[in-house]
Amino acid sequence: MKLNLYEDKNNKDEHVDVYYSQMRPAIKQIIDTVSADRPSLSGRPADEDQDDGFEVILDPKDIYYMDFVDRKLFAYTKDGVFRLSNTLSNCEEMLWNYGFVRVSKSNLINIYKIKQLKPDVNMKVYASFDNGDRICINRSYKKSFNEYLLKMRSVE
Amino acid sequence: MKAKIIDYLTDVCLSYTVVSVSGVIIDHFCGTQINNFNIMLMFIICIIATAVLHMHNFFSEVSPLAMMFLQYIATCILCAAVVLVLSIFEGLPTLKGWLDLFRSFTIPYIILALLYYYKVFADTKKQNDIIHEIQSK
Repeated sequence: MKLNLYEDKNNKDEHVDVYYSQMRPAIKQIIDTVSADRPSLSGRPADEDQDDGFEVILDPKDIYYMDFVDRKLFAYTKDGVFRLSNTLSNCEEMLWNYGFVRVSKSNLINIYKIKQLKPDVNMKVYASFDNGDRICINRSYKKSFNEYLLKMRSVE
Repeated sequence: MKAKIIDYLTDVCLSYTVVSVSGVIIDHFCGTQINNFNIMLMFIICIIATAVLHMHNFFSEVSPLAMMFLQYIATCILCAAVVLVLSIFEGLPTLKGWLDLFRSFTIPYIILALLYYYKVFADTKKQNDIIHEIQSK
């Protein structure tokens, strides 16, 4: 996508024009950002050695998946694992437009980060990510996962 | 709940139709004849098998392969129990009768399991294509 930036010190009416051929998730995300609706998640490093007491703002597009373990929600990114203060269902609702879909009771995955879906010999289907992690797509969520993919594909 | 019952009854009707029509075709070509008891037994097996297969949600934590195996064992045990109860009226089946019963249940079960296996792989391939399409947008 071509990006033009125009700096004008005297401009009193800052604005963004978006020219697009078709409404799609990437365009919607730009709209959300401009409208200040872009969700951001704050979390602290899960590794206590890296936790300096400050919260880190996470960009949803950097998150591979979220895992709910022992009543704690963790976000897995390239830079490490972060503990979030949100709930899984809240994140699911907030991030559905950003490629996040529920695949089990405790996992929310980012479809933009999926490297490949692969079934095992025992017929369980796993989503594998760039960092080498694999998340099982539970059979009970298979239908909703499929519907989500079709919805995301046909977003206009 | 009502929708689930309707789904279940629809599946019983569908499976019984497939089984009975297959039985008629096999009879026609093999020159055998199904008696009324066997027709009733086929219907009962369809009811049991459909009920067990409808319980797949209880097995969501285990792999589909393990689920199929467990459901197969459960169905076999329930069918054997029904045959034992019915044997009060008709007498115990012979060893060949037992083997025929399990064979006629196992063969379609394996065929359907293979079809499911193929469907899992085909669906995953399709989902992979959609994901790559979305990622490239």
